[in-house]
Amino acid sequence: MIYFQLIYEYIKIGLFSFGGGYATIPFLYHLAENYDWFTTKQLSDMIAVASITPGPVGVNVATFSGFTTGGIFGALIATGALILPSFVIVAAVAKLLAKFRENKYVQGAIYALKPAGCGLLAAVAIGLFRENVSQLWAYILFGTLFLMSIKVKKDPLIYLGLSGAIGLVLGILKIL
Amino acid sequence: MQKSVWSIYKTFFKIGTFLLGGGYVILPLLQSEIVDKKGWANSEDIVEYFALSQSLPGIIAANISIFVGHKLLGLRGAFAAVCGVITPAFLAIVLIANILSELVTKHLVQGIFAGVGVGVVVLVLLTIKEMWGKSIVDKFTTVIFIAAMVLACLKISPVWIIIGSVICGILYRICCRKEAEK
Repeated sequence: MIYFQLIYEYIKIGLFSFGGGYATIPFLYHLAENYDWFTTKQLSDMIAVASITPGPVGVNVATFSGFTTGGIFGALIATGALILPSFVIVAAVAKLLAKFRENKYVQGAIYALKPAGCGLLAAVAIGLFRENVSQLWAYILFGTLFLMSIKVKKDPLIYLGLSGAIGLVLGILKIL
Repeated sequence: MQKSVWSIYKTFFKIGTFLLGGGYVILPLLQSEIVDKKGWANSEDIVEYFALSQSLPGIIAANISIFVGHKLLGLRGAFAAVCGVITPAFLAIVLIANILSELVTKHLVQGIFAGVGVGVVVLVLLTIKEMWGKSIVDKFTTVIFIAAMVLACLKISPVWIIIGSVICGILYRICCRKEAEK
């Protein structure tokens, strides 16, 4: 029974969370309030931890709530249910796009989609900057990494590793 | 490198492993792994998939992976890509589920979290730089870029922004054609 509830709730989230980033979060709070799968406190812990665990927050929370309510099998079906609507819809769109790519209207649409995607991403960058870069150390780290990125184009993993390590050191020194 | 279900799974597994600090990090990771290292797609594809992913339901990182996987090897590729990208997330959570609340209160974890948050901003800026030349090519695309950015900052849903830009693109195409025919 619990499995059906998990499938139902996570398919719903997969189907109705638009816009990415943290669009799934309001739905997850709704779950916390309506089921005893996880508490709101656990959810906010989860969201914090999700930033340093691999993978998108929505996937992490789905796995977590599935796991706490139904073990490994619960975790599998909750995660699968979250992804299923995406898979069906995105695969269908990708197929149509491949078929009609030469169509002039589709090309017109793609011509405008690309700068729009760039603009959305720029807005994300502004939001992330305001959220994450507020203290002196963060400004210094940001400036250093930014200069580094202009001078040499390196693997993104280096930036993640470096900024994580510096954060860790600051955490140990209790500067944060 | 050969595009097989297994190689796609492995590549996306690696991307999924380093997908820290929110789903947007997938863009620089795709740029580095899929575009620069493997040559399986180009930056234009990635920005197009990103725009589409934002306007379709579901989690961005999963949506983009499905798009890229589908381009590489159809449905099988899409399946391999999305499985690859979520496997590390799945394993990580199953492993730490029991010590979750302890982790959050740890200084060290919070430190890494704050540090990575700064790194992510730089990575997203780098991705924009990468995509810029491919997508902003004239006055029309510059206007779309600025409009999308401003509207998104005003918290307008990306769904509307993408639908609006698609309509503008199609209209622009039709109008240009007419001018050319005259």
